[in-house]
Amino acid sequence: MTLHALTQQTMQPQAEPEDLQGQTLSALIDGELSDDMAQRSIKQLGQSAGERARIAEYLAIGDALRGLNAQPSDFTRRVMAALENEPVVLAPVPKASNRRPALWLAAATMAAITWGLWQSGPRDDVNVPLAALQQPASQSVEAQPYLAAHQDFAQAVISAPEMHFSKASLEVRQ
Amino acid sequence: MMRRHRSWRDLGLRAAGLSAALLTLPVQAADPLSTHDAATWLQRMSDAARNVAYEGVFVVQHGSAMQTLSIVNRPFGSTKEGRAERESRLAAMDGAQREVRCTQSGSITRVMEGGQIKLEKRLNSRHFPDLLPPNAAALANWYSVKLGELARVAGLDCRQVEILPKDPYRWGYVLCADKDSGLPLKAMMINEAGLPLMQYAFAEIRIGGSPKVESQSSRDTWRMPAQPASVRPIGIETVSVKNLPPGFSRIAAVKRTLPNRSGRARMSSEVEHWVFSDGLTHISLFLEPATRPIASVRGQSKQGMINMVTRQVGPMQATILGDAPWVAIEAIAMGLEMRPDAGDPR
Repeated sequence: MTLHALTQQTMQPQAEPEDLQGQTLSALIDGELSDDMAQRSIKQLGQSAGERARIAEYLAIGDALRGLNAQPSDFTRRVMAALENEPVVLAPVPKASNRRPALWLAAATMAAITWGLWQSGPRDDVNVPLAALQQPASQSVEAQPYLAAHQDFAQAVISAPEMHFSKASLEVRQ
Repeated sequence: MMRRHRSWRDLGLRAAGLSAALLTLPVQAADPLSTHDAATWLQRMSDAARNVAYEGVFVVQHGSAMQTLSIVNRPFGSTKEGRAERESRLAAMDGAQREVRCTQSGSITRVMEGGQIKLEKRLNSRHFPDLLPPNAAALANWYSVKLGELARVAGLDCRQVEILPKDPYRWGYVLCADKDSGLPLKAMMINEAGLPLMQYAFAEIRIGGSPKVESQSSRDTWRMPAQPASVRPIGIETVSVKNLPPGFSRIAAVKRTLPNRSGRARMSSEVEHWVFSDGLTHISLFLEPATRPIASVRGQSKQGMINMVTRQVGPMQATILGDAPWVAIEAIAMGLEMRPDAGDPR
């Protein structure tokens, strides 16, 4: 328990006040919000043209950070498609050498999902898997092989469950 | 201390309430068994899964996914070949044709792919649905056990048994053990809120008796050469694990290639695979040279049952993955260190 308390204390990702929106989104994606809260944030995110434009902007920023040249609309489409396919790719964020853009990317990615939720109308399941980003193979962590290897030892008959990445930034202190 | 104590008590109550709701049977919040009685119950259920001959059909539900499998368990091997070895066989009844045959010496998966039969040797010989390890009594150190009401699964009377973690480093389980044999007929993995993460239950089961004789053509396909799992021992260890959650120990450490790895990654895909376990929970650690700087990324399966993190440790990429709560994965991930005397692994 001491260990647990310690890890809780030292390993919490650094919260930054101006990322409250991102935190809510993160909680939403993690399914940590109550139904009420989730409904409210989804509503809030998709309510106005201004919000929609902001989401589109986040997506564009995310694209730029990932070095993709696709139009935001294309990216959105791909996120939507990926949501349907629930693929098994973890996409790492760029190295934390400049942390702000990484956080922005996280926010953008989360917004992308909320966008998907909002666009496809109300769903029962708020905890939608965060879709894979179509990245060059060298820049992605494929979860599937690790899962398959792990399942040599763990209980597993059913095919690997869909993975999504939820918290893009994990503070590591040594 | 008080707070944690209370929250786990709550979990027990909630889990009890949940099973009651699922089985539409009233469940009283029973007191946990003494460590001795808990160990006895755990061992009884574990032994039954190994020593009882049975065949049947069970359904696995994981999130929105569901799979039906047929199973044959022969504790003393197939009589025709006269082997005394335990053998179990699983076949997926829906989706892709997939069969797993487990013996003491290993397990082989037979997959039908585009009209071709492919055999693959697996590293471990764990027989699904054996949930409990052979030395299940030791689990009583990390889990408390509560007996619930009698229920009915696959036409048989069974006793509900709750296996609840004493700390936040593992998931809990609710089993239903056959009244006569102790064989778990139903198992549900639950999270700290008592919600099911994964569950399986027999839909049909025949305990005892002699199983159907397998057709000759089916037997022959199992004799085809299997793709061996290429494994070798780890040489010099470069990374150390500072703190493992209580009760966990390293049960395996091998160099291996990862299955299903595609493209360029396949060429250089030998990784170190370590496995930590408390007997019920399994957490894998994969170590490989980092080909570029890596940002820490956390992954999670849809229901949160499997957690994963990738981070960089010195020149290595470490991937920690397991069917365990995030705190357990995090504790292992954060406790990784390069050994001071370690050279460059490349």
